[in-house]
Amino acid sequence: MADQTRREFLKLGLAAAASAVTASAIEIPLFNNQNSSMQTKLDNANSQLNNANSQLSSANTQISNLKARVNTVVGFVSLSVTEQSLLEKIVETIIPTDTDPGAKEAGAIYFIDRALAGDYGQSANMFMDGPHVLPRIPASTTNTLSVNPTLSWANLPGNSSAPITYTGGSIGTPGVGAGITSSPRVGSGINYQYPLNFREFWRVGLVALQAYANSAYGGNFETLSSANQLLLLQDLWGNKPTSFSNILPSDFAYELTFMTWAGFLMDPIYGGNQNMVGWTFTGFNGVNFGNFYGEGQDQKALMVATAPTRLKPASLAQYQQQASGGT
Amino acid sequence: MPTTITEPAADVVILGVGYMSGVIAAELSIASLNGGKNYKVVAITKGPYWDYVNDFSTTKYDEWGVGLGRKYDSPLPLQSATIRNTPYQFALPVRRYTMPIQYHALGHGVGGAAQHYGGTMGRQGPWGYTQYSSTIARYGAPFLDTVNPHSDLEDWPLTYAQYEPYYVEWEKAHGLCGDYNGSATNQPSDTGYPWMSQNYPLPPSPLTPVGQSFQTAAQALGYHPFPHVSALASQPYINQYGVPVNPCVYDGYCGGPCDYACETGAKANAAYRTIPAAMKSGNFTLVVNSFIFRLDTDPISGLVTAARYYDPQGNVHVQPGTVFFNGMWGYNMIRVMLLSGIGAPYVWNSSPASVTGSVGRGLTNGYLPYRGTNVSGTLPNNGGNAYPAGNGSGGSVDIYDLMDDNFDHSVSALAGDPPFIGGAEIGAGGYPGGGPGNITFAGGVSSASMGGTFKTTQKDKYLPTKTTLSSTPLAHDLPTTDNYIDLDPHYTDIYGDPLSRLTYDWTPNTYNGATHLVKKVKDIFTQMGAQNVTIGSTVAPGAAHNDWWGHHLRGGCRIGANQSTSVWNKWNQCWSPVSKPVFNIFGAGEITNTSGDNVPSGTHVAGPQSYRAAEGIKQYLALLTPGLLT
Repeated sequence: MADQTRREFLKLGLAAAASAVTASAIEIPLFNNQNSSMQTKLDNANSQLNNANSQLSSANTQISNLKARVNTVVGFVSLSVTEQSLLEKIVETIIPTDTDPGAKEAGAIYFIDRALAGDYGQSANMFMDGPHVLPRIPASTTNTLSVNPTLSWANLPGNSSAPITYTGGSIGTPGVGAGITSSPRVGSGINYQYPLNFREFWRVGLVALQAYANSAYGGNFETLSSANQLLLLQDLWGNKPTSFSNILPSDFAYELTFMTWAGFLMDPIYGGNQNMVGWTFTGFNGVNFGNFYGEGQDQKALMVATAPTRLKPASLAQYQQQASGGT
Repeated sequence: MPTTITEPAADVVILGVGYMSGVIAAELSIASLNGGKNYKVVAITKGPYWDYVNDFSTTKYDEWGVGLGRKYDSPLPLQSATIRNTPYQFALPVRRYTMPIQYHALGHGVGGAAQHYGGTMGRQGPWGYTQYSSTIARYGAPFLDTVNPHSDLEDWPLTYAQYEPYYVEWEKAHGLCGDYNGSATNQPSDTGYPWMSQNYPLPPSPLTPVGQSFQTAAQALGYHPFPHVSALASQPYINQYGVPVNPCVYDGYCGGPCDYACETGAKANAAYRTIPAAMKSGNFTLVVNSFIFRLDTDPISGLVTAARYYDPQGNVHVQPGTVFFNGMWGYNMIRVMLLSGIGAPYVWNSSPASVTGSVGRGLTNGYLPYRGTNVSGTLPNNGGNAYPAGNGSGGSVDIYDLMDDNFDHSVSALAGDPPFIGGAEIGAGGYPGGGPGNITFAGGVSSASMGGTFKTTQKDKYLPTKTTLSSTPLAHDLPTTDNYIDLDPHYTDIYGDPLSRLTYDWTPNTYNGATHLVKKVKDIFTQMGAQNVTIGSTVAPGAAHNDWWGHHLRGGCRIGANQSTSVWNKWNQCWSPVSKPVFNIFGAGEITNTSGDNVPSGTHVAGPQSYRAAEGIKQYLALLTPGLLT
């Protein structure tokens, strides 16, 4: 990725040089309108000037795009070197680049990298206390669960510290089924019961994914055809791998899919959705409520309109800048 | 080193500062409302006071931080809850918030969960208050047994007519928007809905095109459509306490499925409607960032003597008081009573005749987001209002014709559909809400959410030229003896006290009702001109199970007419346990709804109870010999 960063800086340097050339071209035409030859020269010069101006404007656009790119996140703070190359291909499989930008252009991998380094990776806003009992214990009439109560509960009046046995089952038919809550959905708040924070979960998940790529598809994920890359991710959703670092493959597939889309669609302030490509693609307005760029649209009128109005998106940072009187 | 600090005694101590507590705070601290008496009122809440200008106006437009990070909501490491479906199961703790939002967070701070809700309101009609006796009278006891095995359904202690004046006060205090009922004459005397003695204080927000289409279609089919009742102020307003209110700016980052706080204070909640009035009274003290963990009781009388809470430094504070008001949200209202030994705890038994106690009993859930029978269609040439603008609950249109007992539920009338009671508020046209993530992930992330084909479906998704209509109607969830709340034996909060354990699964009535109601909704969608209107696969009772904590919990700490099965009497005063009632604590909230009528918003149904409780507390404080009010 250091290469990519260097490439960006190189491109920026070239664009700046182009801008210098066109700028000096502007200074050439200083003519008097005295005869036809001069007129021809003037026309030529004007045409040159127009070309030069157009070059200048495209160069300036390029510069501002690249500046924006450089000002956003293009480095890693959490993912290891091997994780970087693997995850890059995974996010590009989930949201491929076609005629429109995909996860690559949005920088979804940087969003994930930063999330893993922060609250998400540390599971800082999650309830992480034990005991950790995994859902989906296979249903059987003999499957019971015995768990020791916490001390504080045992100390409440009328309770004891004796182990509690759960038989599972439905009302009227105790003993049928597993001793735990019935089949939470993947991605539901009671589904994730691993004693791992998300940084560790992703670490073991990526290792398991690469191992599965080699055993089932004969090579590292990065080397597979794009069709096979998608098939492999679908295998995870279908829990096809039988050995997967003691985690359920679909649980990891959920995080991969969800976090890639989040990296495409969340505010650029979190490192993804760079240049708001995800919002431009989906037609989302961000915090442009109709007049951010002086469009003169009214929010209440937009609410009751029967046809959509495409608004150039604005980001949270732009909004705050405008709110504080900046430009 | 943490110490124990005893605070000066108060007349009224309020536990938790949400919607209901705000009413108690204003009504008890303002001397002119209490015959000139200056009652000292202290209110304690676990979160901060949010100033909407400072705290929300520049940082709320943040789907990642608000929707998943839950930066304004109750942190799960502080406390969570555990969930199971039957009493034979081990309950798993809720470990995380997810998107799409399946776990609407508890609120955190003054205003509570109303800081991030969608503003949906709507009165519960007369039938809701008498649904047990009305059902038995019209359809017979065996019918109720069929639709609700192990039924624990009861009537309310008061009728709708008795609550009506309290509804009016509640609606004035919070500046609700609406317009009677939309029928031809649109008068309170109409036989339609919602049986009001006066109109809502503010007009509804402008109807969306889909709302208008629904209105026209519903009228053509003989229903009585009216604008959705919303707590998002449509105009500037000043309530009866003199508190000024800013109107909604329609910028779309609102409540409902996306849970944004409001940056103008247009979204009604205690922090910007009732608490400011209490603050001005000079008799009110607000204690924030303080976690209540016990109520102390007198060993002889059993009455509550003080509330104990942790401040942010871990010091223990003891707040003595004369009378207490339990205004905590949902299961926390129950949890603090179970932890403190107040009232008779509910004890489950597989035989309904053998269950005992009331604290934790009669839990219902007002929400089945999906996993139910549904109907959908596409409305052409009707889009564009979805994403750039809107508010959380204005703009849509509802009918009450298909809820309560507003149609015949007898077996012959249902034409072969499975039996049920109640029904659903049906409506359309609301702003769906959200940032792009919430919409993309709506319905869940799956293996279909990957690759170029799926990506194509997301292009210009937020600029719709047609609207997808979708409805998952359900008849309301009825209380049974098998759905309840108790203390979890295995998991604790950050301070080491047991979490609430929810033993809950959806009841057959919800699914059975859907089978019938989707057909009616299909007719409305078709009348609206929708294309490809199809009923999804029918979900049978027991085919899917609850796996969330149900932010629309109802019941569990019920107000009732039977002292042995309810916690609160008709004054919302504790009358449990029967042998020695702890009568100096009052309570109100969604969780005090006795009947699980989820049709209109539970908050609106709870609102009048807070005014009732305020009246009860005033009477209690005037008693020469404290005891149960009659």
